[in-house]
Amino acid sequence: MIKYIVRRLIGAIPVLIGLSIILFAFVHLLPGDPATAILGQHATPERVAKMRAYLGLDLPLWQQYLMYVGGILQGDFGSSVINNQPLLKELMTRFPATIELTLGAMIYAAGVGIPLGRYAARHAQGWSDGAVTVISLVGISIPVFVLGLTLQYIFAVQLDVLPAAGRIDPRANLQIQSNFILIDSLLMGRPDLFIDGISHLILPAIALGSIPLAIIARITRASVLDVSNEDHVRTARAKGLTERRVDGRHIMRNAWLPVVTVLGIQVGGLLAGAVITETVFAWGGVGRFVVEAINNRDYLVVQNTILIFALVFLAVNLIVDILYAFLNPRIRYA
Amino acid sequence: MALLSVEDLVVRFRTHEGTIHAVNGVTFELEEGERLGLVGESGCGKSVTNLAIIRLLPKPAGRIEGGRVLFDGQDLTVLPEAEVRDIRGSDIAMIFQDPMTSLNPVLTIREQMVETIQAHRKVTKAEAEKRAVELLAMVGIPKAADRLKDYPHQFSGGMRQRVMIAIALALEPKLLIADEPTTALDVTIQAQVLDLLRNLTTEQGTALVLITHDLGVVAGMTQRINVMYAGFIVETATTADLFAHPSHPYTIGLLHSVPRLDAVEGEELIPIEGRPPDMRRAPTGCPFAPRCAWRLEACWADNPGLRALSGEETVVTTGERATHRSACHNPPTAEEAAAGRPLRAGFTAAPPPSGAIDELGGTTANIDDFGGLVAAIEAEESPIEPFPSAAGLPLPPEPERRNDGI
Amino acid sequence: MAAPAIPAGRSARPAEARASRGLWSDAFRRLLRNGPALVGLFLIALFVLTAALAPVIAPYPPLAGSLADRLQPPTAEHWMGTDMQGRDEFSRVIFGAQVSLVAGVVSVVMGVTIGGLIGALAGGIGGKVDAVLMRVVDVMLSIPGILLAIGIVAWLDRGLPQIMFAVAMVNVPIFARILRGSLLSLREADYVTASRSVGASRGRLLARHMLPNSLTPLIVAATLALATAIIDVAGLGFLGLGPPDPRTPEWGTMLTDSTKFLRQAPWLIIFPGVAIVITAIGFNLLGDGLRESLDPRMKR
Ligand SMILES: Nc1ncnc2c1ncn2[C@@H]1O[C@H](COP(=O)(O)OP(=O)(O)OP(=O)(O)O)[C@@H](O)[C@H]1O
Ligand code: SF4
Ligand SMILES: [Mg+2]
Repeated sequence: MIKYIVRRLIGAIPVLIGLSIILFAFVHLLPGDPATAILGQHATPERVAKMRAYLGLDLPLWQQYLMYVGGILQGDFGSSVINNQPLLKELMTRFPATIELTLGAMIYAAGVGIPLGRYAARHAQGWSDGAVTVISLVGISIPVFVLGLTLQYIFAVQLDVLPAAGRIDPRANLQIQSNFILIDSLLMGRPDLFIDGISHLILPAIALGSIPLAIIARITRASVLDVSNEDHVRTARAKGLTERRVDGRHIMRNAWLPVVTVLGIQVGGLLAGAVITETVFAWGGVGRFVVEAINNRDYLVVQNTILIFALVFLAVNLIVDILYAFLNPRIRYA
Repeated sequence: MALLSVEDLVVRFRTHEGTIHAVNGVTFELEEGERLGLVGESGCGKSVTNLAIIRLLPKPAGRIEGGRVLFDGQDLTVLPEAEVRDIRGSDIAMIFQDPMTSLNPVLTIREQMVETIQAHRKVTKAEAEKRAVELLAMVGIPKAADRLKDYPHQFSGGMRQRVMIAIALALEPKLLIADEPTTALDVTIQAQVLDLLRNLTTEQGTALVLITHDLGVVAGMTQRINVMYAGFIVETATTADLFAHPSHPYTIGLLHSVPRLDAVEGEELIPIEGRPPDMRRAPTGCPFAPRCAWRLEACWADNPGLRALSGEETVVTTGERATHRSACHNPPTAEEAAAGRPLRAGFTAAPPPSGAIDELGGTTANIDDFGGLVAAIEAEESPIEPFPSAAGLPLPPEPERRNDGI
Repeated sequence: MAAPAIPAGRSARPAEARASRGLWSDAFRRLLRNGPALVGLFLIALFVLTAALAPVIAPYPPLAGSLADRLQPPTAEHWMGTDMQGRDEFSRVIFGAQVSLVAGVVSVVMGVTIGGLIGALAGGIGGKVDAVLMRVVDVMLSIPGILLAIGIVAWLDRGLPQIMFAVAMVNVPIFARILRGSLLSLREADYVTASRSVGASRGRLLARHMLPNSLTPLIVAATLALATAIIDVAGLGFLGLGPPDPRTPEWGTMLTDSTKFLRQAPWLIIFPGVAIVITAIGFNLLGDGLRESLDPRMKR
């Protein structure tokens, strides 16, 4: 098992190197003069020169690359060109919002998608199975922003039961400690703010989680059906086990394997989707930050946000791999 | 009263391609401790018969559509599910063909044994584990205590089948149904596993139904044999009787199509021509007629029932004195049985009534072929098991739509 | 003692051994019997015709409108109402199909070409080439989904060609892996071994035998990718990274422009949104149907 983890970690190294080269190239090989590109056509020559020096553009490329990687390894992600704030700090205050959103979406997607898939598999070929198929078809065909706007219109504008945007009531004076609103509100001993935070989270999480939900439901259904036809399930029944145990232990323990892999893949979709969801719901996370940065031509922010998202995605996949091996003795003992 | 009494069992599958007449009125009995063989070509309904007995037919297609299954005097076909479940695994145990797939790959042997014991007995986990070790030792697994924590893939095929036997015998069942328990094993391992099965069932006094299409296996293992064809029992006799005086043309065909130890020098093998009938057709006439060299005109229209060879009225259904019965309008003589073909001067098999042969023989073979093809293709497809790449990045979720995050 | 003469082994890979023309026409026949796929085809035909005939169908020019007519609800005159500039929403949705169709098709074709090339090189040559190319693919996949496209557009600046390239790059690693995967599994197939032993050259082997048979999964993936590509393009538009001329009728951009009027003019959200969803459903249905008919093994 340890060997397996080490192998996976080593396997990730070339990807990390490749990723750093691409992101390095992203800023340093901007079409035209990077400094001008960053500052815009109308920047004064002094500012451009300062920017060139700041970016280390007078050095040879490989030195620039090593500087870049060295900086990242020391936690120096550079500073925003717009307000000169250290980027790491800014990202750290915004990241919790994105985590809250993606986690909420994931809980919704898996929490509804998996039972839905199991239900459809158990009633395979019946009308309820057909209904699940249609739901998941529509689910994968609705883009996050269309669903988000629709939910906003129905639940915030028309029914007025849930807030349309933001992470919390702007009048609430929440003491920010962890930047996780749900945690901070509890730390303050304010369950009302916690509930307010949840009510703000519901619509964005549903908007973001619906595509993964549809995909998870489909894969769960297929996986449960596949396993149900395997010989060992008949053995389990022939041993006189209850249907409950056959289903919960023998079928699901095997059916989990593809589902877990898909869950890991969906984290990527959730991170990317957060960018758009945060835009729709004015959710102050990293995603919205990156969109603002693009509009401000703040390339360092774009570069480093992508880097962080990619690192999170790689880490999640590593965890999923380990979980997969843990669930699958054939890999664990290979 | 017999331990098991199957009366006129009818099983059909309702599928998209129509109704499959898998078992068409099978009747037989089994005494406590008796060992019965069930032989016949692939697809003749052996497995389905036994799955029907413990009510594990594939749902929702497979259904018992007639007859009774009396076990210990109780009709299993009408018993509430919970009561059948209590019988499964404790009074009636089953072993399946492929030890590679019959054990759950992600659970330890310990769990798969303990859960069986605990499903039927109120014992602690520790007690159940102790029993599991005894059982593994009993079926000849070295270092049994150490191997409890292992997973199925850490055992060889023969060892896995021993584990299956240990699980099956865990609760000292009255009846053990072994469905081709050695077909998937090497020849040397086959003999070992069969020996083990015979010894343990004899010791425990467990009745055995041994399903196989290998006549060599049943010869040494069983006291009686039922020969099945197309969902019917076409001949039944004690093992000694059946090998000494095979009577049904199909049984004779089976015996002549395999090399035998007692074969006369130079005796040639005669394969059975043609294929089994399409089970989608409701049976009329003798099911073996299209392939039979002894067939009479009556055979096309009338399906003969099992009749005692001696013509006796009273029939013994079980034990060493079981009556030798066969379902045939034109039973071959002993000489013909030995020769493997009709010897009567001028006899030819009756032609089919106005070109029906294609209906029964030709086309069905083709359809079967296609079904086999689809089955083979489907069997090839493995469950989705995406293998993460070296970097730990997921493979594209190919069968599903992608999620670009919008 | 061996088993009696039970009709011998079912041939192992009959489907793949069949001639490829038979495969295609069989698949086509199966497709025509697949209800959902036909619905998908119908929706796609609707989409393509709308795009092609936009100038004929649209009752008004997509770019012109007077502020006096702004934010009108749907009426007999303006079926889908008017937007904040007083332009006819129905006409804009219709012309929006053009942008989506072109951007979707071009980006998928580009993605299939580049990805297919990478996959064919990796799977066909193998060895070091394979290892290096697949690491490149891994790197591309490590930047999840549309984030890669966002980065590329941010880098290359706005513009329809840039958008199409960016969306294509999202698809490249996926197509590369699919083609490589099927090439690798086909390599071992009997008839490839057979023609290799007859002495067919490597290039010929790749071109004549392996590629046609590897195309099936690629075709399915490309169809499904059209759904995602159209959504991706709209998503970039929604983020304000759409075509540089803000007046261009692009579904995603139209949605962004309308978010401010969610309360007063919800139809400006509904109609472009429904257009995107229906188009995506069409390609998803056809993609699933194609998979089922091209690969009889595939059960849903
Ligand atoms: N799940 C199912 N759905 C439809 N038909 C089935 C199913 N299972 C079995 N059958 C049909 O029932 C008939 C009897 O099958 P059965 O499995 O009992 O054969 P068998 O004698 O055990 O053969 P084998 O030696 O191959 O195990 C066959 O014609 C088969 O096609
Ligand atoms: S002789 Fe007639 S009844 Fe006997 S097996 Fe042949 S066909 Fe069937
Ligand atoms: Mg069988």
